[in-house]
Amino acid sequence: MTILMDEILQEIVDQAYGAACLGRTSDFSDQDMVFANVLAELEVTGDAMRYVDAEGRIAWKATPCLRDYLMDLQLDAEAEFEAEDV
Amino acid sequence: MLDRPTPAPVRCSMEALEATLRRIEGEWEHYQSTRDRDAVYQYLSAVFELVAVWEHEGKAVDFARVILWLRHRSVQNKLEPFAAVIFCTADRQKVDYRTRSKWSRVLRYAAEFKDLDEPLVAYIKRKGGINKCAARFARRLGRGRRTEVTTHRPLDRQLRQRTFL
Repeated sequence: MTILMDEILQEIVDQAYGAACLGRTSDFSDQDMVFANVLAELEVTGDAMRYVDAEGRIAWKATPCLRDYLMDLQLDAEAEFEAEDV
Repeated sequence: MLDRPTPAPVRCSMEALEATLRRIEGEWEHYQSTRDRDAVYQYLSAVFELVAVWEHEGKAVDFARVILWLRHRSVQNKLEPFAAVIFCTADRQKVDYRTRSKWSRVLRYAAEFKDLDEPLVAYIKRKGGINKCAARFARRLGRGRRTEVTTHRPLDRQLRQRTFL
């Protein structure tokens, strides 16, 4: 079964899956199992949440907290980049 | 016979439920800390999204019971998931039984009649606001309702239509 998720979470779980495939962090390589485990961990840390999408399916998205954090990181990076340019 | 939608493959742990409650408590705090009149909608949307997922999994009352247990709270009346989430995440000094009941009626009305792709805020405003929606609930779904509703579980009707028709 495909687990539906937004771009932010997709990037995170893809990285985790890549790491799992290389055998660096775990033994399993089943994609959905890796995705499910990562999403469960992100839910516990308050970074991911389930919701019912417009098609009536359960999907996952980054919480406002994680979105704000990533936005801050991006703004910091842009500020640093601009400072280096000068 | 229509099957229920396939349940989410990721199991919801107690820790995840706790984190979810904290997130919604954060929305409550935000609502309390701002002068924005629309901030209450953000809080209600968070409550609505959570119960919608529980309803989708067919376990709304079970999850409501668990969060009451997690927050060491109990209810005297019939357990209603929206009211339970509000009871567990909002300040009881500021949200009394009547307000909780009103918000719960608004959310139940939206769960029954709102299209899945329409944001809750837009829907409630389109229907005249919180008080109007609560009154609409009384007319359509409450004790003095005019029409019979065919489903007993909010969102079921829409989910069946969306998923299988």
